[in-house]
Amino acid sequence: MSEPELAPTLAARTAALVRDRLGDAPIEVVEYRGEMTIILPVEHIVPVCQMLRDAPDLRYDFLADLTAVDWEDREPRYDVVYHLLSMQTRAVVRLKVRVGAEGEDHPTVPTVTGVWPAANWCEREVYDLFGIVFTDHPDMRRILMPDDWTSHPLRKDYPLTGITLPEPHWGGQVPLGSPVSPTLYRQTLRTPGGIPGEIDPQAESTRQSVEGQGDQEH
Amino acid sequence: MQLEESQRLLLDESQVTPDGQRVDTMTINMGPQHPSTHGVLRLILTLDGETVVKAVPDIGFLHTGIEKTAENKTYFQALVVTDRMDYLAPLSNNLGYSLAVEQLLGVEIPPKAQIARVALAELQRLASHLVWLGTHALDLGAQSMFLYAFREREMLLDIFELCSGVRLMTSYIMPGGLQADLPPGFDAKVREFLAIFPDRLREYHDLLTYNQLFIDRTKNVAPLNAADCIALGASGPVLRASGVAWDTRKAFPYSSYEKFDFAIPVGTNGDVYDRYLVRMLEMEQSANIVRQALDSMPEGRWNVADPKIIPPPKWAVATNMEALIHHFKLYTEGYRPPRGEVYQRIESPKGEIGFYVVSDGSSRPYRMHVRAPSFGNLQALPKMIEGQLLSDVVAAIGSIDIVLGEVDR
Repeated sequence: MSEPELAPTLAARTAALVRDRLGDAPIEVVEYRGEMTIILPVEHIVPVCQMLRDAPDLRYDFLADLTAVDWEDREPRYDVVYHLLSMQTRAVVRLKVRVGAEGEDHPTVPTVTGVWPAANWCEREVYDLFGIVFTDHPDMRRILMPDDWTSHPLRKDYPLTGITLPEPHWGGQVPLGSPVSPTLYRQTLRTPGGIPGEIDPQAESTRQSVEGQGDQEH
Repeated sequence: MQLEESQRLLLDESQVTPDGQRVDTMTINMGPQHPSTHGVLRLILTLDGETVVKAVPDIGFLHTGIEKTAENKTYFQALVVTDRMDYLAPLSNNLGYSLAVEQLLGVEIPPKAQIARVALAELQRLASHLVWLGTHALDLGAQSMFLYAFREREMLLDIFELCSGVRLMTSYIMPGGLQADLPPGFDAKVREFLAIFPDRLREYHDLLTYNQLFIDRTKNVAPLNAADCIALGASGPVLRASGVAWDTRKAFPYSSYEKFDFAIPVGTNGDVYDRYLVRMLEMEQSANIVRQALDSMPEGRWNVADPKIIPPPKWAVATNMEALIHHFKLYTEGYRPPRGEVYQRIESPKGEIGFYVVSDGSSRPYRMHVRAPSFGNLQALPKMIEGQLLSDVVAAIGSIDIVLGEVDR
């Protein structure tokens, strides 16, 4: 294996290579605590990843991690972060793209599953928890939350607890096709039914049927 | 039977072979309550007879929002949620998180804490591998193995209990060092374990390694080559079994691993048997590292001498005004690392666990993301089991040693 001193040299070479490739495009290279971050425009992410994977003296063959950070008050709002690693040269680099213009609910980023298949589940997780859509992804579905969840929990404006959500977000509680009463709008995470004192007959019957089923099972 | 184009359109993709033949496949559901899925993993399997044509893992049943929770706790408090991810190796998680926070803070840990962390992380690796060994063998029908492996694990849990008062969720390794000094009797108790463990390991080899029934169930089952492992993000013993000598402890030494002498066992075929052998040999190496750590354990502090990071001792809080203030500030507010971000990777028993911690200068992590090794390894599962027999799916799941707590987080 090569000497550990090489790591900064390899990171510097990576930055030079990316600069070279992108020409006039605005990129930013940040170094913090010995780790190098390259921030680049979103439209270049796939070609740059492809290039870094195939560069003969770098060979970033392992996508260690892919995630996102929500900077709620900033524009663009989200960072999508790629942690690259080379198992052959031990080079390490972090790539970052910034997406999410004002009022854009589901920003898009091109997928890197074509470069590293490992990105598949990571991108699904980012979509699930942040609502960032990866274009041309082979299987863009939620992965951790239930399929009928209506929001993206790791966004900073998603509260931690004690919330009234705008619509029934847990699909199983409202029978399919039945009209939804306003009381049901206010259900909290784990308690079916509405707020005490505001009992709507229809919601009440739904609640009882749901609870009744539970009782029979026990 | 050759199919017409119109008939083919009615069929599922998996029901037609590439040359246009129809296959009568059946789609079955395995889990999330299946005992051999090691937690709440659900697999949707498409079978042709007994052969798996397609496997789709469905995860998320154990999603507890750990990353979200950590964002709403101070760095000090967020430590305890890391225990709950890979609940079979909480000390490894503590170590990864602590190293990340220390890097953000820019503090240097005293030598005793570093060596003690290595000893604890390796004991944890042994405990985790013993659970894997017991359950993996149990899945394949070797029931007594489970009892033997848990007997030894119990000794390790006693050691953790001696250190921290807790058997499982220890939170013993914390940012800045250890929660407390290594207790008196730690050395003796660990040496007692190390004295009997090589014999026990030999016993396991006798029971399984040369056991024809075990070999038949594992050899050439669910193989995965090195290129696929790397492409799909598999790491740890799964990657090493396919012949890649990659170990974060060697490649990016942390916590003074560079001072230790140990080998990286690698396999050749990348099948279930090789993954088994790699972990068995790793246990030997881990015991070796623990012995070296005990022999070279320095004297001195077990945490940094910075009251802004480490709470002062109780006697000082009771007698000293400064200590009382530090104690109060630390528990009400915590410390504030400068703005920035770090990604710290370590070798957990399951593979590469990475902690990506972003600080906005406040006392709570702005974002904490965990690159869970089981997440990557599980992603490689369909590639392993497609084309294999249904009964081998159980062997394959056991061989990648997943913990759903860290897959779903």
